[in-house]
Amino acid sequence: MPPRLVVKNLQSYFFTRTGLIKAVDDVSFTVDQGETLALVGESGCGKSMTALSLLRLLPEPGRIVGGEITLDGRDLLHLPDVEMRRIRGNDISMIFQEPMTSLNPVLRIGEQIAEVLRLHQGDTKQQALEQAAELLTQVGISDPGRRLRNYPHQLSGGQRQRIMIAIALACDPKLLIADEPTTALDVTIQAQIMDLLLELKQQRQMATLLISHDLGVVAGNADKLAVMYAGQIVEAGTVKRIFGNPLHPYTQGLLQCIPRLGQQQTLPTIPGQLPDLREQLEGCLFLDRCSGPCAPCGHQLPKLEENEPDHWVRCWRY
Amino acid sequence: MTLLEVKNLRKSFRITDSLGRTSGQLVAVDNFSITLKQGETLGLVGESGCGKSTTGKLILKLLQPDAGQIFFNGDELTHLSPKQMRPYRRRMQMIFQDPFSSLNPRMTIGTILSEPLLIHRLAPPRQVRDRVIELLEKVGLTAEHEQRYPHEFSGGQRQRIGIARALAVEPQLIIADEPVSALDLSVQAQILNLLQGVQKEHDLSYLFIAHDLAVIEHVSDRIAVMYLGKIVELTSATELYKKPCHPYTEALLNAVPVPDPNHPRPTALAGEIPSPINPPSGCYFHPRCPYADDQCKQQEPQLLKISDEHQVACHHSEQVGRFLLQKV
Repeated sequence: MPPRLVVKNLQSYFFTRTGLIKAVDDVSFTVDQGETLALVGESGCGKSMTALSLLRLLPEPGRIVGGEITLDGRDLLHLPDVEMRRIRGNDISMIFQEPMTSLNPVLRIGEQIAEVLRLHQGDTKQQALEQAAELLTQVGISDPGRRLRNYPHQLSGGQRQRIMIAIALACDPKLLIADEPTTALDVTIQAQIMDLLLELKQQRQMATLLISHDLGVVAGNADKLAVMYAGQIVEAGTVKRIFGNPLHPYTQGLLQCIPRLGQQQTLPTIPGQLPDLREQLEGCLFLDRCSGPCAPCGHQLPKLEENEPDHWVRCWRY
Repeated sequence: MTLLEVKNLRKSFRITDSLGRTSGQLVAVDNFSITLKQGETLGLVGESGCGKSTTGKLILKLLQPDAGQIFFNGDELTHLSPKQMRPYRRRMQMIFQDPFSSLNPRMTIGTILSEPLLIHRLAPPRQVRDRVIELLEKVGLTAEHEQRYPHEFSGGQRQRIGIARALAVEPQLIIADEPVSALDLSVQAQILNLLQGVQKEHDLSYLFIAHDLAVIEHVSDRIAVMYLGKIVELTSATELYKKPCHPYTEALLNAVPVPDPNHPRPTALAGEIPSPINPPSGCYFHPRCPYADDQCKQQEPQLLKISDEHQVACHHSEQVGRFLLQKV
């Protein structure tokens, strides 16, 4: 079976007054049915912009300038806007980091879930509310009848994130994009939400794109991952391969600088910081921070190449 | 030498309805006692709303406690007026979570750092600039950053400036409230190393407040775990990790996601943090606790010493550890 989502050579650029920013630069990946791909990287690496590109919701002055995105064989980049609107929330749904700001504070929970069902599936109000109650049960909210009449501020952060998940799943999407779904939550609640997402994914065979900066969350929840740096994928592969044998110096650095329970020695760090993407950079974008640059790094950008089965890396060392 | 001693601290807030009438009481911190030695780091960990930040503010007397005592270098601070507090303020500094909102956007870094030096007369005006540059270099910035404004810096650099500002007045105690939780992974490690470096250099004591147990465990000598305003367990960092004796500590340890795909997935603790306005009866943790029995529902456990360095508030502390995930 062909992969559910195929992204090929995606390029999303921001045409700012101070210069061109290549926020997403030649990004390619696939996600199969029932599979979770994690996009990993630090702020500004382009992981959220990649997700927004999939929905064609890039903020101004960003534009998709090249590449292909297909969902179940359907080309998303050349769909008319009306068609695209049907895809969003129906075939592709997204959960955001901050459940407080992504729910409408003046609408009851029930109305917010029902709205999606009425819009995308043409349910009547009564049908929609019944289905909303059913969804709340599925996301582990007790007493759904009462909760439907609540406003967002009456719920805790974890419950709000459950509501967001219920809204995202209302139309049985083919692809779920979860953008830092647990970053704003406490650890005990984070574990609950990640368990819920895993369970729902297995039930519905959804393809999931998990965006996260937390390598711990990724290790426990993703099948594959792609590490992004300055708009590019620098390493990609299965979770087992990358955690077992990280190849790119950036991935190695990230994995080493995490404080781990039971280890108190000084943390190794990655020196320096992200390059200014407005400058026209030549060669490898990680060059200034790399622990062992070699001859071609300064003037030629390495390609993302397969180093071993299911493991790609963008580095001249290999 | 004991630098800071806090005894039975308590702080409650009045809950008012829309007409300003008192409708309830929220006990944010209750019966909180710790000691902190010079050069030591005490970690304070707990989930949102557990009172860890309120505790930090109480110790700095940014909030007035309802009851309890605070001793700093043996002097009691509890009832000092703001004016009387001023000489002590210099000795206790705070580093905040959000490096974006804790620096004045209209001041240059030079002004931000020279202000405390001038107010506390720590350097003659002519030497202030040299001292500012020295501070910048200490935290890994350079003299050329002096004339810039906060918005020109990244999050990590701003946190460095926050640290430089705290160090400017040569404090003995720094209360760091979630100093790395807003930072990226690679920057977080840099800032943690910087904090540990300046601690060694100046023999500083830290009260390190964070929700991330892995971070806390990394920097702390001892750790206090808080739940709904109370310390439920207090012990050395290694003991806490190896042999947690409170079910909540065990649950927190189990919930930390480990960056290793061969490690078992975190186990989720059932339920949510109860409202501190209407806390559960008996042990506050009993509705979520896998060890709870009738005694826990009725009787609140006291924080008791189970060894020299280990205090825990649980009726069943000897059983805890049964559910601890095995580390790979």
